[in-house]
Amino acid sequence: MLQWATSKAVSRGLARTSLYACQRATTKPSLTLASVSLVARRGYAEVFSRSKPHMNIGTIGHVDHGKTTLTAAITKVMASQGGAKFTDYNQIDKAPEEKARGITINSSHVEYETNNRHYGHIDCPGHADYIKNMITGAAQMDGAIIVVSATDGQMPQTREHLLLARQVGIKRLVVFINKVDQISDPEMLELVDMEMRDLLSTYNFDGENTPIIMGSALAALEGREDNIGATKIKELVDACDEWLELPPRDLEKPFLMPVEDVFSISGRGTVATGRVERGVASKGADVEVVGLGNSFKTTLTGIEMFHKELERAEAGDNMGALLRGIKREQVRRGQVIVAPGSIKAVKKFQAQIYVLTKDEGGRYTPFMSNYRPQLFLRTADITVSLTFPEGTPDAAEKMVMPGDNVEMVCDLHFDVAAEIGSRFTLREGGRTIGTGIITKILDTV
Amino acid sequence: MLKSVQRISLRSSRLYSTGATKPPVKLVAELRKLTEVSITKAREALTASNNDVNLALQWLEKDLVTSGAQKAAKVDGRFAGEGLISTCVLSNGVGSRSGMGHGGVRAAMIELNCETDFVGRNELFGRLAADIAHTAAFITDPHSSETAFQSCSLDMLNDAPLICQLQPHSPSSGTVGSSIRDMIAKVGEKISLRRAVSLVESPPQTHGNVGLRLASYSHGSVSIPSQGRIGSLALLALKSPKLVELMLSEKFQEDLKRLERSLARQIAGFETISIQSPSVQPSETALYDQQFAMFPENTSGSTVSEVLRSWAQDRGLIDGEQEGGVAVLDFKKWTLGETADIS
Repeated sequence: MLQWATSKAVSRGLARTSLYACQRATTKPSLTLASVSLVARRGYAEVFSRSKPHMNIGTIGHVDHGKTTLTAAITKVMASQGGAKFTDYNQIDKAPEEKARGITINSSHVEYETNNRHYGHIDCPGHADYIKNMITGAAQMDGAIIVVSATDGQMPQTREHLLLARQVGIKRLVVFINKVDQISDPEMLELVDMEMRDLLSTYNFDGENTPIIMGSALAALEGREDNIGATKIKELVDACDEWLELPPRDLEKPFLMPVEDVFSISGRGTVATGRVERGVASKGADVEVVGLGNSFKTTLTGIEMFHKELERAEAGDNMGALLRGIKREQVRRGQVIVAPGSIKAVKKFQAQIYVLTKDEGGRYTPFMSNYRPQLFLRTADITVSLTFPEGTPDAAEKMVMPGDNVEMVCDLHFDVAAEIGSRFTLREGGRTIGTGIITKILDTV
Repeated sequence: MLKSVQRISLRSSRLYSTGATKPPVKLVAELRKLTEVSITKAREALTASNNDVNLALQWLEKDLVTSGAQKAAKVDGRFAGEGLISTCVLSNGVGSRSGMGHGGVRAAMIELNCETDFVGRNELFGRLAADIAHTAAFITDPHSSETAFQSCSLDMLNDAPLICQLQPHSPSSGTVGSSIRDMIAKVGEKISLRRAVSLVESPPQTHGNVGLRLASYSHGSVSIPSQGRIGSLALLALKSPKLVELMLSEKFQEDLKRLERSLARQIAGFETISIQSPSVQPSETALYDQQFAMFPENTSGSTVSEVLRSWAQDRGLIDGEQEGGVAVLDFKKWTLGETADIS
């Protein structure tokens, strides 16, 4: 016990997180109450209670079809229910620049709360910004509202909007047909509806069942004609609540802890420390150590936090994991400790990569196939060679420039625990030159 | 306000057309499939032409002149910094058997801007950019100025009939300017032809031992390979007493093309301002002084000028006492949005 506490990394990790974990400990019994009191103590003006599940959604649509008006209208209608702060049209920032993992992204954010959920609502001016959001995970969209004006119907670029939604991994959409007050013939609205469902199906969305709401964002914003205004906004939000699927929360996923450090403690055995990324593990559970050419099963004989033994560790905890019958040499930084069978060691995968520009601290010059930077995934640090996906024309002569979004095949020198959606960074000579997200697993161990 | 204006106009058109009924949804849908015009517009066209799709198409064509211009005027003040750099090479110099020029060089590069990269990635927009580049390359006259590249007058280009790249012999559907206007009406964004440059050179008079070649590269293409966010064109000269003979060899031609692509990539990928350093000191922005990283066979890290020399020697362009070699005469490199007014 004492020896555990004296090991440097553990105590450092504990000191850093003790405050957080103490708070967590108090919040657990009654989440809402505890978080409210916390807020009061910190003196924050407005913090939404975390008791409702959170979800990020985005608006995608043509520049003139009223995305910003719709966003303002949603905050207004939700504010009337006490679920948001009203943000007027001219207060919604026209996509300010922000930095996520050192990458410049243009996007504007508002947030609001419905009866069931808390929404982060983002809007980006362009395709490239949404892609960067996806790769960095800055504001991963779990769903989207496609905005189309009834006067125009879908436009040529609506296809690009749907392709984007597919590319960033959105499975379900809600459609808002805006400006219906400018169309007097109901049959025309039916046509917009019909065409939209056709197009959705063409791009592999569920065209038949996707909710399509028709209304006027401007009417809602100006507080007139409730039947096409505020009522429709409520319908839209309800449709989001019902149709868009919540991403699984970290706690519900299978257990995973990346190994940061390993210690040998005489009399007890081998302890691996790290911060639990997701899931829950109990003392005595069967676990698997995965990655770096040496994956094996073992048992979690002890969980330690703050010099104390615990029965259970969950996402967010910094813990020491005592592993049964394992020698220190068998576990290394870069491996993960997981619920058995929940993740595989991967040797080769395809990924969507953003290459940082010179201004973002990245490379000055292009690179070609077979470029070999270091890949950092969780705590692992592995040399990787980058090539173009099979079938790429002129792959041997293709170049990648700073600022590019590109799909590449990553061939790792050692295997590492990874899955679709895992994020990583690429570094060279001590600086980050790219960041990516796994889109396809090509080769497991 | 808008609503009432619209109602009035609808009502008045009904009054004047003989027995016009409400256009059936099926026809509106059909017209939209044919033209990609807005729902409101499709309906208006059918109402005005007695629900005859062919007449409606004619009506739309006439209407686009005015309504397209109105739409263009409405979006004119907006900022358009996205879009495409599109290149077109009609003849790439000595050895080219097809196209115009017969051993001469004929090419163009244009920048077509729009507001969002959604439209920039759209196929219709890409086609339009390709056709404009094709037109610019096609209509430019040979000239006798100092520089190889000449910037095209945008007014002249706007008035030129648009020549479709895929079917160059089909009758033109309109001018470059009117095609841009039609595109504005379809996608509802500001679209502007930012700049255009062309290169037309006749084959050199000196018989046989000197030839021109054109290299081109586009970076970041979405669907059409000759367009993207960065475009480069480079004019090369080959000199050798054996040039005619060499150009007959397929292997030499392949080698030459690979070298050309590498040079065009080098210019696009690295900050390149000049061909040779203006001073005695080597400069990183001078093409010849750069390490030729984009030439796959260059593993030793030689500079562009070293690679060009050894390439010419290895391929037999330089033979004994006689003069020969390969040189870059001029180049153009454009990056999307670099000249846009941020204001």
